[in-house]
Amino acid sequence: MKKMLPESELARDERFVRTKIEDRIFDPRGPKIAQRNTGPARMGVDRPAAGERSRSLMHGIFVGEIQALEGAGRTCYDFDDDTAPFQLKLDMARQCWDESRHCEISVKLGDHMGTEIGEYTESTFLFAAACNPDPVFRLCGVNRALEGLAIDVFSSMKEFGNESGDPILEFCEDWMLADEVTHVKMGSDWLRRLTETDPDRRERALEFQRTVDAIFNLGGFRGEDDENPIQLARDFRRLAGFSDDENDSLAALARESTEQAREMAAMATAALDASAQGS
Amino acid sequence: MTEQTEPRAPFAPWDRRELPGLFSVEESARRVGNYKWAEMRLFEVLGGWVATVPELDVKLVLGRHTYHHAWHAELWHKRLPELREMNPDRLTMPPNDEFVTFMEAVREPEAPEHTIEKLVGVYRVLIPRFIAVYTYHLNATSRITDAPTIRSLTFALQDEFEDWRDGEMLLQSLIDTDEKVDRAGRRQAALEKLYLASGGIAGAGSLGSHPAQEVGVR
Repeated sequence: MKKMLPESELARDERFVRTKIEDRIFDPRGPKIAQRNTGPARMGVDRPAAGERSRSLMHGIFVGEIQALEGAGRTCYDFDDDTAPFQLKLDMARQCWDESRHCEISVKLGDHMGTEIGEYTESTFLFAAACNPDPVFRLCGVNRALEGLAIDVFSSMKEFGNESGDPILEFCEDWMLADEVTHVKMGSDWLRRLTETDPDRRERALEFQRTVDAIFNLGGFRGEDDENPIQLARDFRRLAGFSDDENDSLAALARESTEQAREMAAMATAALDASAQGS
Repeated sequence: MTEQTEPRAPFAPWDRRELPGLFSVEESARRVGNYKWAEMRLFEVLGGWVATVPELDVKLVLGRHTYHHAWHAELWHKRLPELREMNPDRLTMPPNDEFVTFMEAVREPEAPEHTIEKLVGVYRVLIPRFIAVYTYHLNATSRITDAPTIRSLTFALQDEFEDWRDGEMLLQSLIDTDEKVDRAGRRQAALEKLYLASGGIAGAGSLGSHPAQEVGVR
C-alpha cells in the first residue's frame, strides 16, 4: 500500500455524496437565502428550523469524525519511524480508537435526531488537512485547528442539547468533548517537542494551523457573536492548552471572517437586486 | 501486640508455579523485541487501511483495533528495558528477512475492493499466529521470574482473541459467494506459505520447536 493517500481516494459506500467546499460557498442559492434575514444564526431552540439545522450539523460531525479517524490512521502509516516518533504514532493510534467511538456515537445520535447517513453531503477538506507530508503540520492542522473546532462544535451542541431538553444529546456531546480536549493537548505537546530546536518549522506549522482555522471560520461559521452558529468555547480551549492570546487571535480571525461573509452577502444581494431590476 | 499465627508456606497449596522457565532474560527480550516489531507493523497498516475500506463497520473496527495493537507494542516497548535492553530500538526488529517479506505481503492490499484480502491477512493468518506465539510464551516462561511479561501477554492475548472474533465475523459476513470463498482461501494459503518460510513471529522456534533457544529444565 502506498504512503500518502489523496483525499480523492477516500473509500465510501454508495450512500455518501461528496461535494467540494467551493461548491457550497459559491452556491447561487446562498445570497437568496441570506436575503431572508431570519435573525441570529447561533444554535438556539427558538431559531427557525432549529431541528433541521441540528440534524445537518450532526451529519457534518459524523462525516468529520470519519475523516478524523482516517487522518489519524494515515499518520500511523504514512511516516517511517525516523520521521514520526513511535510515541507520536501511539497517540495517533489512540486517536483512531477515540474517533471510531465518535463515529459510532454520531451514527446513534443521527438516528436519535431523525437523520440518516447520506441525507446531507460530505466535503473532505478535513482529511485534506491530514494529508500534509510533514507530521508537525498535520498535528497542527488536525489536532490543534480541527480538533479545536470540534471543541467549539461539541460545546455548542452540548448547550443546544441542554436548552432543548435532550439529555441524550447533551450527555454524548460532553463525552466527545472530553476526548477532543485530549486530542488538542496531544497536538500542542507534539508541536512543542518536534520543533524544540527548529523555530522556523514551528512558525510555518502554526501558519498552516491559522490557514486551516481561517477555512473553518469561512462564512462566519464560528465566532463569539449571535451571528455565528458555532460559539468559541474559550474555557474548554484553555483546558486543552490554548493560551488566552491564541484564543483572542482566533476570535479576531473569526470576527474578520464574519465581516467578510457579511460583505459578500451584501454584494451578492446587490447583484441580485440589480439583475432583477434589469430583467 | 500482634497475635501469633501458625507459620504458613510462602506458596499456597493451590499455587503450583515452578522454577525455572524455558527462557533466559536474553531470550525473553529477543522475543519481546520481535513482538513489538510485528505489533508496530500491524497497527500501522490497520490505521492506514481505515481510509481505504468503504464498508463502514469494517472501517470502525479497524480504527478500534489499531489502538489495541499499538498498545501491545507499547507494552513490549516498556518491557524491554526491564529485560536489560536499555535501548529498546536495538531489539525492535523482525526475526529474519522472510518475516519482513511476509509482513509486506500482509500490508500490500490497498484498493477499496480488496477488503477481504486485507482482513484475511490479519484475522485468518497473522492474529491466530499472535495467539499461538503469545500462548507458547505464556506457557513456557517462568511464572515467577518472568511474571511481568506474563501479565502483558495475558492482556495482549485477551485483545487478540476478541479482535480475531471481530475480524472473523466481519469476514464471514463479507464472504457471501463461492468466488469470494476461493479468493479468501487463495489469499490465506499464499500468506501461510510466506509465514512458514519465516519460521514465525519470533522466527524459528516461535512455538518451541527449536531446542537451541531453550534453556533450563522444564
